[in-house]
Amino acid sequence: MNRVKVLQAWLWCVSLWSCWLSHAVPLDCKDETGSLIQCTSISQEKLLDRVIQHAELIYRVSEESCTLFEDMFVPYPLYALRNQGGTMCHTKPFPIPGSKTEIQQISDKWLLHSVLMLVQSWMEPLVYLQTTLNRYDDAPDALLNKTKWVSDKLLSLEQGVVVLIRKMLDEGILTPSIFEHSLTPDDEPSPEIPESVLRDYNLLICFKKDAHKMETFLKLLKCRQSNKLSCLSY
Amino acid sequence: MRNSGAVLILSFIAKLISQAAGVSAPGKPRLTSCRSPEKETFTCWWEPGDDGGLPTTYALYYHLENSETIYECPDYRTAGDNSCFFNKNDTSLWVNYNITVVATNALGKNISDPVEVDVAYIVQPNTPENVTAVVVDEDQGPFVRVSWEKPRTADTRSGWITLQYQLRVKQKKDKEWEEYDAGMQKYYNVFSLHPDKEFMVQVRCKPDHGFWSEWTQTTYVKMPDYIPRERSLWIMITIFSVFIVLILTWTLNVKRNSVKLCLLPPVPGPKIKGFDKQLLKSGKSEEVFNSLVIQGFPPTIDYDDLLVEYLEVYDNEEQELVLDSKDLSEDCMKSKSPSDCDSGRGSCDSRTLLLEKCMVGREGSRSDQHQYSQHGETSWASTESSECQGLEPGSPEFSDGRVKTWPVVFSSPQPHHHYQVEAVKPVYHSVPEILNHSSPHAMPANYQNLQHQDIPQQEGRFGKPACRHSQSYTHGLDTPAPGVSPSRSLEYVEVQRINPENMLLLRPLSDQNREPEGSDYAGEDYSKVKELTSNNILLLQRDTSYQCADGYSQAGQCTTQQPPHPCKPVIYQSHSGMPQEGMRVMGNGYVDTTVLMPSY
Repeated sequence: MNRVKVLQAWLWCVSLWSCWLSHAVPLDCKDETGSLIQCTSISQEKLLDRVIQHAELIYRVSEESCTLFEDMFVPYPLYALRNQGGTMCHTKPFPIPGSKTEIQQISDKWLLHSVLMLVQSWMEPLVYLQTTLNRYDDAPDALLNKTKWVSDKLLSLEQGVVVLIRKMLDEGILTPSIFEHSLTPDDEPSPEIPESVLRDYNLLICFKKDAHKMETFLKLLKCRQSNKLSCLSY
Repeated sequence: MRNSGAVLILSFIAKLISQAAGVSAPGKPRLTSCRSPEKETFTCWWEPGDDGGLPTTYALYYHLENSETIYECPDYRTAGDNSCFFNKNDTSLWVNYNITVVATNALGKNISDPVEVDVAYIVQPNTPENVTAVVVDEDQGPFVRVSWEKPRTADTRSGWITLQYQLRVKQKKDKEWEEYDAGMQKYYNVFSLHPDKEFMVQVRCKPDHGFWSEWTQTTYVKMPDYIPRERSLWIMITIFSVFIVLILTWTLNVKRNSVKLCLLPPVPGPKIKGFDKQLLKSGKSEEVFNSLVIQGFPPTIDYDDLLVEYLEVYDNEEQELVLDSKDLSEDCMKSKSPSDCDSGRGSCDSRTLLLEKCMVGREGSRSDQHQYSQHGETSWASTESSECQGLEPGSPEFSDGRVKTWPVVFSSPQPHHHYQVEAVKPVYHSVPEILNHSSPHAMPANYQNLQHQDIPQQEGRFGKPACRHSQSYTHGLDTPAPGVSPSRSLEYVEVQRINPENMLLLRPLSDQNREPEGSDYAGEDYSKVKELTSNNILLLQRDTSYQCADGYSQAGQCTTQQPPHPCKPVIYQSHSGMPQEGMRVMGNGYVDTTVLMPSY
């Protein structure tokens, strides 16, 4: 009798547990119509590849946006403009490694977190950039489209990195830290070029740099995933 | 105070001395470029200015964008003269370096313009290494496989830097290189190179954001000698040629007879007209020779060609009747027999009017002809006299507008031949003698009515004699017209004149000089056609300049322009010089009667 009861209880538990397992959906996956469906799982490598592709694309588009903006609104050669110190990017609350040696010394965890933080730090400025660019009289449509596209893709990138973190590091989702972007005007605005133009140009250039950082970090991470030894030892 | 003043004076003096000596402070140096080969270190080069005649030292200073600490270049030697090398430890990515160069000599110093550099954007890798080009042979044809390695310093394995490659190929003698993009792979297959030629190959690379490297050293590769075998092209050519051969063969087969004829023309055997081989075989020579005799020889009928040029017409007092009664002519037209388009017409046609006497007249003249079948006789066919009705201007019967021809009188042994009805070409007959009717009054109104029409009579069909005027000149011989000397020779005559009584005055052609009664020979053989009336009557123009004695029917102003009776022969009087009002002047020029001929 006891055995039977135990067996029954066990069977019940097993069935319940299996039901619970099957119904446990870690992520809400929605198809086109919006109904919940079973999420299709993806391997870690593929996910990392996709994330890297995202980062590459974002970097390329940001580079093109910079060029468009320069052609349209910045009459000076870049050389001279850079000298004017209008390339002060906003500082990050966390240190970002600046050289290969430093980056190689960083662990995977920090790499991923750095990327995530970078992505999150640029969400708001890009929105701001979109609004300012719309105010321009003759901003080319390509430029506006590109900035819009970039801000959308940045969201996807963030989601991908979050998933990566969860998969690779088995960590929970970090709460996005809110970065204060002090979009202060430059100290010495040039009389020829309006201040807003300089500021926007600065934004674009800084974003380009950070996009490149993200791409580089992710690529290094991929190398580490495939063969840890050869990546670290150059 | 005094010291400072002394110093000032001394420096001033020193400057003067130095200027006199030609030395000065250094010129401004200039930073030319900064480059990083692998995104981990970088080098900057500068260009010294004028050194001012004194030994000058250069120093490079930099500071990062977000700090004010100024550092000096850590390494002046590694990269050579006038350069500064930043190693890995001193290189930070994604930050701007603010770099300046200072030139110093004994007399002063000079600072270059500052330059902002971000290392991530000044990457120019080294050239690729170990470029090899080998010829690979395949059924499609040989091609060249170019392979290389990444530059040693670039760290593509860890993804730190991503390189893409480009190669270019050309022959030695070519001016332009042909470039190919190889993407990120380290090999490339080059196809369609010319056989038996030597090619030069170079490779370079570029990071995804940065500058192109230099081209590698040239690698040479020689293509083997081969025949480009493009199979598909040969197949197409073969099929096409087979197809053409088939078509030709079929065509030849279809036309084999004509081909045979063309290649091997039949040798004409000997053929004598009338010669019957069978008769010869049978051995009866008489029959053979009899058959050789040509009935129609000497040809008496075929004077078409000779008589082509002569138009025999006759004038008619009742021209106006002819012109007026066009309906009659139409009737006459209707009665024409349709089968008037025989072959012989062609030769007779040109500018000729074949006059044909009416059938009856002809027949009647046969008898006459017999009488006058001598050479030198002229016999006008008194053909119509018997059956033709009398002179009736309104005679409606117009058989078919046929031309009535004079009967030909020849010395032919068989004069009746040309009266054969079946004769194809009743053509002109040569009249051996002008039928004398230069004296119009001498003769009764027995004129042969001739009507000239535009259609030469081809068949021996003589319809009903439309014109019932029959005039015979049976007596022509007996009473030669004055002024016309009968000639005994066979010759053509021409109509010289038409007298008012509708008599045709002829004179022999051969005697051009004869001018009976002051007739003026126009000297022309052709006549101008003035008008074509009602389709079968040709009104010829007579030149006004001439006296209207020209035998040829020049129905110009000379003639009494009475429209000829439709059923009457058109006879133009030779005397009247009044142009008829009714006559329409045709276009200038001679007319070819064939043109005007209605086809039957």
